[in-house]
Amino acid sequence: MSAPATATAPVHARGLVRRYGSRNALDGVDLDLGAGVTGLLGRNGAGKTTLLRSLATDLDVSAGRLRVLGRDPGDAAERTEIRRRLGYLPQSPEFYPHFTAFALLDYVAVLKELGGRRARHDEIRRSLDRVGLTARRHTRVRRLSGGMRQRLALAAALMGDPELLLLDEPTIGLDPEQRILFRNLVSELAVRSTVVLSTHQIEDVSALCQRVVCLDRGRVVFDGTPATLIGRARGHVWEQTGRPRDGVTTWRLADGRYRVLTTERNDPAPPGDRSAVEPTLEDAYLLLTGVERSAR
Amino acid sequence: MSWHLTPAQVDEYVSSTVDDVTAMSVEAHLMHCPPCRSLVPADEAWLADSWADLRDIVDRPRVGLLERALTALGLRQTTARLLTATPQLYRAWLVATVVVLAAALLSAHHLPRGSLLFAFTAPVVPLVGVAVAYGRGVDPAHTLTSVTPLAGQRLLFLRSCAVLVPALVMCTAAALLMPSPTTLWNAGFWLLPSLTLVAGSLVLSRWMHLSAAGAAVGGLWVLAMVLFAATDQISVLELFAPVSQLWWAAALAALVGAIVLRVRPA
Repeated sequence: MSAPATATAPVHARGLVRRYGSRNALDGVDLDLGAGVTGLLGRNGAGKTTLLRSLATDLDVSAGRLRVLGRDPGDAAERTEIRRRLGYLPQSPEFYPHFTAFALLDYVAVLKELGGRRARHDEIRRSLDRVGLTARRHTRVRRLSGGMRQRLALAAALMGDPELLLLDEPTIGLDPEQRILFRNLVSELAVRSTVVLSTHQIEDVSALCQRVVCLDRGRVVFDGTPATLIGRARGHVWEQTGRPRDGVTTWRLADGRYRVLTTERNDPAPPGDRSAVEPTLEDAYLLLTGVERSAR
Repeated sequence: MSWHLTPAQVDEYVSSTVDDVTAMSVEAHLMHCPPCRSLVPADEAWLADSWADLRDIVDRPRVGLLERALTALGLRQTTARLLTATPQLYRAWLVATVVVLAAALLSAHHLPRGSLLFAFTAPVVPLVGVAVAYGRGVDPAHTLTSVTPLAGQRLLFLRSCAVLVPALVMCTAAALLMPSPTTLWNAGFWLLPSLTLVAGSLVLSRWMHLSAAGAAVGGLWVLAMVLFAATDQISVLELFAPVSQLWWAAALAALVGAIVLRVRPA
């Protein structure tokens, strides 16, 4: 998928830099995001959360040009306007534990300037229903499970039908059924909104995202479709019986064989029992980021 | 059911031309007779609205006494909600304030130069309250609410008001209990310094966390007190003298101006 390379795209960033002391958490990020779901991948510390917080107007950038929903987050009035059209699920959200789920959303809805009381409450009910928490609306937050709290935070982000939805590790703590519910929900939203999903769950990216942006040390190292990323890994993934001596990453499979990712392309006549296999998105991501680890 | 409504009775009931006694009888019958009920057309819009009203009453978060009082005083319901939604943020601070002021009063009554402790404490109490009222690290749900339209300056000033009002009331009450008071005017010697310190921390919070700003301003206050106490020529009480009050008033006006300029564009 080609990026809409215009300053009117919902997200338009050029040469974005965010410094923490002498370290650049973002180091010259260029990005244009349009409608649909974009997956943000990268190792811990790659800059994903910093980028999302910058897009969410929660963090000022140190240098570069950033426009969100056509407005400048650095200007106080425009920042408020962006926030009226934004939904943000932070990493590890925290709550007022003594609030009920409904009361917490009511508090957030007031901060989001969502209409009069009746309209606000209708929107809260709709959001609770979307994340499957209607039956728990009168339960205090401290009595909700981790997965329920995550869904409650998602409901808070969804209120007001945001044009730009920024989700930082949204599926942490969700069980498989809830993750399916989450994917369906995000797919529906992406029809009319721009969704940015930062995650370590590659399967969520495979299932949801039309576009993948990979960050490494604050830079964009890949920006394209999942199919393109997988295509790059084609010819670099092996499976073999014996313990491999080479490879960027290797790990032992359930059947006792080893999966090997190498930077060298597969030899057309592989030695011994080595056989080339079709790469997954996870293979492609691991190859791209060059993780040197071996899961045994 | 041995009898049913006649078509004429149904027509009269639907067109509201039936008398009250017959209407009650018809309604009692309709409660138990599905065939007759099916003859009466339902007002779907009214039904949906009624259910929505009922659901809203059931779901609505409980409105506390303070919130009702603020609304009765003319505050908008949403503002009252924001002011009263997070009392647990202030509860510990309110208890600490009472303890600190009580200690200051005790020392004022029983220790030589004990009034100095109160002079030092009273201006700092509201500052500490404001410093812990808003921001990452002090507000549990800050990450969830920090990028909402009302977050930032507007919520910060709302919360500051929620802290300032009880703080000022408690400090004034404590000042009136001092050993050598006192008119209300004499008891308010600490007020302008206090408001100036708070305004200073709010202005500084543009460049740093509010808690850090509060610590910085509080640090300056402590430093000033120590320097004055260490000097034989000038008494600490000079900080509260009428001439000094004029300086405090000027500084406060300048800081409030800076705050208003900062908030207005948002």
